[in-house]
Amino acid sequence: MTEIQLIQQVRVLDAVTQTDQVADVLVQDGVVTEIAPSLTVIPASAEMIQGQGKVLLPGLVDLYSHSGEPGHEPRETLASLLAAGQAGGFTRLGILPNTEPAIDHPAMVEKLLARRQAIAQTNPSLPQLHLWGALTQGAQGQQMVELVELSEAPIAGFADGRAIQNPLLVQRLLQYLRPLGKPVALWSCDRTLRDTGVAREGPFSLIYGLVGDPASSETAALAALLECVAEVGTPVHLMRISTGRGMELVRQAKERGLPVTASTTWMHLLFSAKDLGGYDPNLRLSPPLGNPEDQAALIEGVKAGVVDAIAIDHTPHTYEDKTVGFPSAPPGAIGLELALGILWDTFVAQGDWSPLTLVQALSTNPAACWGQMPPTIQPQQSAEMILFDPSTTWTVAPSTLCSLSANTPWLGKEIPGRVLRTWVPPR
Amino acid sequence: MLSLADFTAAEFETVMETAVSFWQVLSRRTRKVPALQGLVVTNMFFEPSTRTRSSFELAAKRLSADVLNFAPGTSSLTKGETILDTAKTYLAMGTNLMVIRHQEAGVPGAIAAEMDRLNTGVGVLNGGDGLHAHPSQALLDLFTLGLTLDPEQPTASLVAGKKIALVGDILHSRVARSNLWCLTACGAEVHLAAPPTLLPPGFADAFITQSPIDIPRAIVQHSTLAPALDGADFVMTLRLQKERMAQHLLPSLREYHQGFGVTRDRIQSCQPTVKVLHPGPVNRGVEISSDLMDDPALSLISDQVTSGVAVRMALLYLMGVGDKGG
Repeated sequence: MTEIQLIQQVRVLDAVTQTDQVADVLVQDGVVTEIAPSLTVIPASAEMIQGQGKVLLPGLVDLYSHSGEPGHEPRETLASLLAAGQAGGFTRLGILPNTEPAIDHPAMVEKLLARRQAIAQTNPSLPQLHLWGALTQGAQGQQMVELVELSEAPIAGFADGRAIQNPLLVQRLLQYLRPLGKPVALWSCDRTLRDTGVAREGPFSLIYGLVGDPASSETAALAALLECVAEVGTPVHLMRISTGRGMELVRQAKERGLPVTASTTWMHLLFSAKDLGGYDPNLRLSPPLGNPEDQAALIEGVKAGVVDAIAIDHTPHTYEDKTVGFPSAPPGAIGLELALGILWDTFVAQGDWSPLTLVQALSTNPAACWGQMPPTIQPQQSAEMILFDPSTTWTVAPSTLCSLSANTPWLGKEIPGRVLRTWVPPR
Repeated sequence: MLSLADFTAAEFETVMETAVSFWQVLSRRTRKVPALQGLVVTNMFFEPSTRTRSSFELAAKRLSADVLNFAPGTSSLTKGETILDTAKTYLAMGTNLMVIRHQEAGVPGAIAAEMDRLNTGVGVLNGGDGLHAHPSQALLDLFTLGLTLDPEQPTASLVAGKKIALVGDILHSRVARSNLWCLTACGAEVHLAAPPTLLPPGFADAFITQSPIDIPRAIVQHSTLAPALDGADFVMTLRLQKERMAQHLLPSLREYHQGFGVTRDRIQSCQPTVKVLHPGPVNRGVEISSDLMDDPALSLISDQVTSGVAVRMALLYLMGVGDKGG
């Protein structure tokens, strides 16, 4: 029997067609069949979904987040991660390979994808997994993995998730990977310059007494990487741009015509070092939160398209992990279930981003960074979309989160935005 | 009490007035008052400390409180317990006031927030956290300055207009940060001096422009010692950790002492009435010369330790009385 849904009078946002209109949307067996200002001929068996005041968005795409499984299941299992992704409106989830053991071998790729299929048996709307294969063994940044063999497995691309410290190794990786044509994502951070820094160096690191991490730990490594990209020519996705100067380097690289795309994380758009006065370990991130001028540059950079994508970099840690002093807290925060509502509220409802800017940064562009067809809401296309209610609020608590971890500064707070329904095409 | 960053001049006066009354108690034959009788004060010193802990312990005992001392060496922190678990253990024993020292910034605040969340009414006093704050040290320094300026009636406002040089490893010093907030709020003009690796450009400006309360703060920073000492009323020196050399922050202790060691000779350019302070423990011959440190006419280092007990009595009293009342 055909499954039919009619979403009535919903605001349809689609960055691929640059659409922002209120319409009726008809979905039949997972395919969008009609979009019209007002549909009059409605199949009798259609499930009617009220769309007034709600938004229909293409499915969100997260370039990189962390899974606790395998290795740290108390933080997050694959099942809880997928559920969190679904709750947050994601239809494609990128997973970094620094699990334990790492995703550095085809067998691990197959195993995790099979796990996802098994979990999705009972819930077909769970996001698709896009696994990053490790560049180096154990994602330890020392020795190349068997890259050709791993590239034959269904990976989304290559990344370590950690910053590789040896520039020669980075250069060799880019040379070796060039003919494989797979996406490569690198995070630029010079750990020697970072030293023991835990907060971006500036007035706030000074007054709060947090050891400073100079912006040059990002920009020196980024500048070196960009020179290497210019020399070798392998396209690279630049992860976790967190400083104004880093943004400037990305802008210049794109102007030079270098084959790069870039992302920042949603937390770096919402907080700055100024917010560290409460020493909340959930704001201890890597790279650290920028100074207010870095934050402003990133917000502007997303708007201008210099930063292509907003990544969630969802990093679950248990209560015990995070119940320590700020400097010794393991970096990272969860975000999959929170990001859309908060970003929408901050930058679309109360800010100056157009809604399509947000859709581009959370869906269309991250897919393009992987070289994938982006999710889109158009007739005769598979429905990969979400129904989002920006006005519903909910309180963040372990009991309301799908994630097994609750390491977020919004814990205990009421936040806006709920994803009501998700359509994910079968792979 | 976690930080002095948002303390106003009036609040500093309250602490000073209270400290004066306990200072008088300490000079009596019976040096004990029943102010906090029946209350439990717990010293939770996650970071080892002898002098600050002893000073708080004596202060609490002089106020007739019962004192518990927590030392990490004998703790269960290594057994998977969190800092909040430890705090809750002492809460369950009936602790009314916690004095917390931790090697990381923000831990006393985190425990205080948890105590508030649980509605316990327990007061938390920061005994020094990471590089962030050491409020009781700054307050005892202020009291020491006040006593020096007017032994009969020491007040916070006495330091207004005074030039105070703060010399040494300012970047890594919680004492320096708390002193900066404290002295500038009371109207002193603070001159910082250290090599740029221990006093980054923009340090003074950060405290002036990012002050959590809207008051003018007079802070000037120097990369040499002479302009900071010139005409200074007081010179505060800071401890230099020996590991700063391994961190590429300084070439040698010798060069540091040559540039920034406070000596009898160098303080000739200060006011004739100049006094020198140090929070201890002192590296003799590094941040301050041995003979200067031992000269009672110039050094206030012992007075600082004595003041510490009276000031900590005042802090425990001010927080503990609130607890009793509420």
